[in-house]
Amino acid sequence: MQRRAGTTTLAAPVRRVAPLALILLAACDGPQSALSPGGEDAIQLGWLFWVMLAGSVVLWLFINGLFFLVTRRHPHPMSRKLAEGTIVAGGIGLPLVVLTSLLAYGLSIMPHQREPGDGLRLRVTGEEWWWRVEYWPEGATEPVVSANEVRLPVGQRSDLELHAADVIHSFWLPGIAGKTDMIPGRVNHISMEPVEAGTFRGQCAEFCGLSHALMAFQAVTMEPADFDGWLAAEAEGISENARQAEGHAIFQEQGCGACHALRGTEARGEVGPDLTHVGGRGTLAAGVLPMTAEALADWIAHPEAFKPGVEMPGYNHMDEAELLTLATWLEGLK
Amino acid sequence: MSDEHPAGGEEEFREEEASLVRITLGPVVWMAHFIVSYAATAVVCAKLSTDELVWLRMGIAAATLLALGTIAWLGRRSWRQWRHGNEDIWEDPAATSEDRHQFLGHAALLLAVISFIGVIYTALPALFAATCR
Repeated sequence: MQRRAGTTTLAAPVRRVAPLALILLAACDGPQSALSPGGEDAIQLGWLFWVMLAGSVVLWLFINGLFFLVTRRHPHPMSRKLAEGTIVAGGIGLPLVVLTSLLAYGLSIMPHQREPGDGLRLRVTGEEWWWRVEYWPEGATEPVVSANEVRLPVGQRSDLELHAADVIHSFWLPGIAGKTDMIPGRVNHISMEPVEAGTFRGQCAEFCGLSHALMAFQAVTMEPADFDGWLAAEAEGISENARQAEGHAIFQEQGCGACHALRGTEARGEVGPDLTHVGGRGTLAAGVLPMTAEALADWIAHPEAFKPGVEMPGYNHMDEAELLTLATWLEGLK
Repeated sequence: MSDEHPAGGEEEFREEEASLVRITLGPVVWMAHFIVSYAATAVVCAKLSTDELVWLRMGIAAATLLALGTIAWLGRRSWRQWRHGNEDIWEDPAATSEDRHQFLGHAALLLAVISFIGVIYTALPALFAATCR
């Protein structure tokens, strides 16, 4: 790209700072940014941020302008009346007006973050260190169980019921909405209304133990028709083909079903994530690894290496070929 | 200006005792309003239906007006106590009974102002958030 003539006239410090600023600004984009919102509530929170930022800039300029005025431009003694008037107006009056209007603005948008949903209900439970996710479509008598990924229909408001199994976690999906704590023994609510289809990243935002930082998830927002199709498929058990495959035999032989459920088989364990459609998820081990057969094999053999403190034992006694067969089979469970 | 109170020591003591009580009155009203508003909201949202929210908000509005009225009256009284008889004097530095009396008025006024603002801020959520969520 040709450089425009104007840029050469920029002062040296500006030229030096500009690339740095661009790098920093680039960090504002991405799947886990409150500044590139893809949901009604995130848009509102984004606005709140920009209003606060603009207000702070105006205030900063005003205060420093005053400093400049009284120290450089007009360094003369002030009359007592003017000085006291400035203190009362600037120290009591101005903050009162600014804080009251900000409080009123903040309060007026607060109820929106927990508005009741349009029908779909999700029950998300924080565990050390993964997410148990249940979908309860309107009128459902039993949930569609999944894990470590949240899918939401675009243009509809979904209700999220937040639980915690062990310690306090916090469900944070900044691209779509705000953040709400998950507290053992309590049910908290947040509702979300995505406005565009896409992929976002969420993260546990309350320190919850050794692998807190490795407790993330992917959120996929889908057009309502796509979502309904996906949910119907997710509700199914594993296919007959998958049941007959060698991978399934290894799964049973290694006793994986004691902790993991595979709907449509005898595996009903509820200690770890439901694996019925594990290969259909975007990430493995709650946002830690990509969903590939190699990563699955690595994870099964040495989970501790990727998530310190994890409850799952390592299966490094399995031979390489067996391990890869199991991993490839799991990856194929879409 | 002498340090002697015109009506003697005992009466002065009684008067300043009342002044001291008045100083705390603004924050006390603020505190009472805060507790009543938050406790009532918690009870209504946890135990009753959201249909009762209209009554809760009207109740909070009434409690707020009552609290603001009381604090305003108190502020006016304190202003008088502070400003009484000194048109251009804004400070009361002397260790005299008059300056002490006026200082207590000054302090009560400032506390009334902050309590007034506090009561308004406490009531604002009820004005803007017409829901238990």
